Parts: sequence; structure tokens; C-alpha cells
Amino acid sequence: MDLLVAVGLVLGSLIVLNLPPGPQRAMRHLLRETVLGPFIEINGAIARTRERALGFDVLRTQMDSLVAPVAAHRTLAEENRQLRNLLELRDRRGRRARAVTVIRVGTAGSESAFHLDSGSDGGIGAFGAVVTEGGLLGQVQEVFSRYSVGYDWSHRDFRVAAMTPDARAHGLVEAVRGGFREQDRLVIRGTAYLSDLSPGDELVTSGRGGTFPRGIRIGWIAGPADASVGWSRSYYVEPAVHPGAVTHAVVYTGSETGATVPRAGGALPPERADPP
Amino acid sequence: MRLRFFLLCTALIAVHLVLHVALALGPAAPDLVVVALLLASRALGSAAGAAALGFALGLAEDAFAAVSFGASVFALTVVGALGARTRDFFVGDSIPFLAVFLALGKWGRDLLEWVASDPVARPPFHDLALAESPLAALYAAAAGLGVRLLFIRRPPVRRRP
Repeated sequence: MDLLVAVGLVLGSLIVLNLPPGPQRAMRHLLRETVLGPFIEINGAIARTRERALGFDVLRTQMDSLVAPVAAHRTLAEENRQLRNLLELRDRRGRRARAVTVIRVGTAGSESAFHLDSGSDGGIGAFGAVVTEGGLLGQVQEVFSRYSVGYDWSHRDFRVAAMTPDARAHGLVEAVRGGFREQDRLVIRGTAYLSDLSPGDELVTSGRGGTFPRGIRIGWIAGPADASVGWSRSYYVEPAVHPGAVTHAVVYTGSETGATVPRAGGALPPERADPP
Repeated sequence: MRLRFFLLCTALIAVHLVLHVALALGPAAPDLVVVALLLASRALGSAAGAAALGFALGLAEDAFAAVSFGASVFALTVVGALGARTRDFFVGDSIPFLAVFLALGKWGRDLLEWVASDPVARPPFHDLALAESPLAALYAAAAGLGVRLLFIRRPPVRRRP
């Protein structure tokens, strides 16, 4: 009898392994909200404390470094607005975003996933781009009322349409596994055979497909990967963001007219591009 | 299972969750879930009870899995059931036996999890089986032995007058 129950439990575990995504998602959510909830809260509190421990001098330096670009941006935005008016173009759509704390856990199988301390209550939707000051971190996958779950660029399903900032080369960036997880890196596939990219060339999102907004930095070309003769080339990409080091990010939640400036702890209102 | 042993296993699981979920230490912290499961399976002696415990612990482990939800459930259920069955074959609670038992249990858990994982997402077999997992198994065995020496009293040995 004892052995039969044990065999039944093993069969039950195989059933769990082969459940469809919906029930699996519900089970994960139930466990995170009940048994594991306090541990996730502690993890989030530690991540927020680590953020706050960032020295005042570092934050002041970052703020100061933004003063000149923001001042130049206002003039540029006005020129751009005038030119668009002359060409009778509509205003470019800006993006709304929300600042979030990124929570990572260290259990087996969770290496590519992260939690965000904001969910649908905060305006976050599925497939939103998760971005840090360095560049693209990943994408939101599951959204619940109080939190959401995403995966970073090292996940096997991660794909993003990429291009060089001058749009001379386009391709699709995806993760390739290394021998160990620390050796995971990105590769851009499908670039035109004649597009010669050099190590150090920057790659940004192209906006194709509409999932990731255009212009977010992905990384830099590290070197050639392989080539289909006369057809296309692939290159390894050095990622701009190392997922393990991220504690704070911004999630794009939608688009609206006007640019936006991130504000910690809340939904970000659009910034007016008019000159002062 | 005595109350003291039950509390010890519960504490090991709680410490594991603190180290791996709250502090996110990853491989830097030992796999105390396997240690708790194997110690409990020996104490329980019931394959069904140990398998049920492994099933529950696997669910908690898999709550954060990005892919292959259920791989830990399967691995820990099998390890729990087999761990309980070892009582029928191996008698004794010596330090060398416990070290081998814990190391093999952890290694077996990793191998079973690899078998049950999505082929696209899992690491190369030779890296796991020959490099990562043996080191993790030794680490878990050392942690388990530490727990054994610190918290589990052996019955006093009777000496002949």
C-alpha cells in the first residue's frame, strides 16, 4: 500500500510536469502569494535597501550628467516640432513608463526570471519592455494585481528586432547558451550578408513588431558568429545589461503623445516638450 | 518521527527558503531542501510520506521556475521515495554512510531534474553531471553532516563492564 501511494505520487508529479500553462500559472501564483510570500517580501525589501544605499554623490553625479542633455533636448524638441509642422507630420507618440523594483530569487530553474513589485494595479501589462539606464533587460510575461513576472534576455524564448542606430543593418536578437550560465550571450541573426558590422557597433531595438519601442539599447557587436554564404550573417552581441546586477528598472506601459521622464514609485506623467 | 527531528527538518526548509528566495544566493548556498528531505525520509521510513513531502517541496521550488514547471516536483518526489526505501537495505546512521547518502541524493535529484527539464533550456549533460552537480552534492553533504553533528544526538554506546 505504501509503495502504491508513492508510485501514485510519482505519477502525480509527472502530471504536474505536463500540465498546460494555465493551471501551472495558477499553481505558481498560489504558492507565491501564500507560502513564499514572506520570503519574496524580504527579498524586495533587501533590493530596495540596496538601491537606497547607492551613495548620494553617485546620484548627484548621475543627475548632473543629465542636465546638459536635457537642456539640449528642449531646443532640439522645439526644432523637431517646427520641422514636423512644416512637413505636416503628426506628433511622435511618447511612452508611458513605471518605475519598479526588480526581485530575483536563487532557486533552481529561476535563472532567467524576475519579479517586479508592481502589477496590473500599477498599469503594467503583459509583454511590456523592461528597461534599465543601461538598456534592455527583458520583457514582462505574467501580470497579476500586485506583482508581475518577466524574463530577461537570457531566456530561451527572448527575441527582439534590432538594428544599428543609423538603421543600416537589421536583424533578430536572441540568446544563445554558453557552457555555463555565466557564458550566456546574445546573437543577432538575419542581418544582410553585405552589411558589415564591426566589433563595438551599437545595437538598439528597431520597434518592429510593436512589442519593444524603437531606440532602446540592446548591446554592442562582439564579433562574427556564422554566415550563410551570400545570404545572411550572424554576430555575437555583448549585452548592455547584466541581469544579475539589476535592482531597479522601468517598464513601458503604453504610448501617448509627448515624451516621458521616469519618476520613482509611480506612473510616469508625460513631460511637455515645449520650451520653458 | 520525533518532534525534535520534525522541527529540525522544518528549520532546514525555512533556512533554504531564506537563503535561496529571500537572499537569492543561488548556488552559493547549499541545497538544504534535499538535505531535509533525505533526513526526513530516513526518519519517516514510509515511501509514501517521503514522496508526499518531496512533492510539496518540489512545488515550492518550482514556483519560480521560468521553464520546466514540475521538474523539481518529479525529482524530489522520486528522491524522497527512494530515500525512504534505503532503510530496507542499509541499516545504520554512521557519518560516512550519511555523507554518501546525502551526496548521492543531491546528485540524483539534479540528474532527475535534468531528465525532466525542457531539452532546449537545460545545460549540457556532461557539464551538469560531471562538474556542477558533483560539487553541489559535496556542498549539500557537508551542510547535512554539519547539521547532523550539531543537532542530532546519537544514542549513547553501551560499554561492557
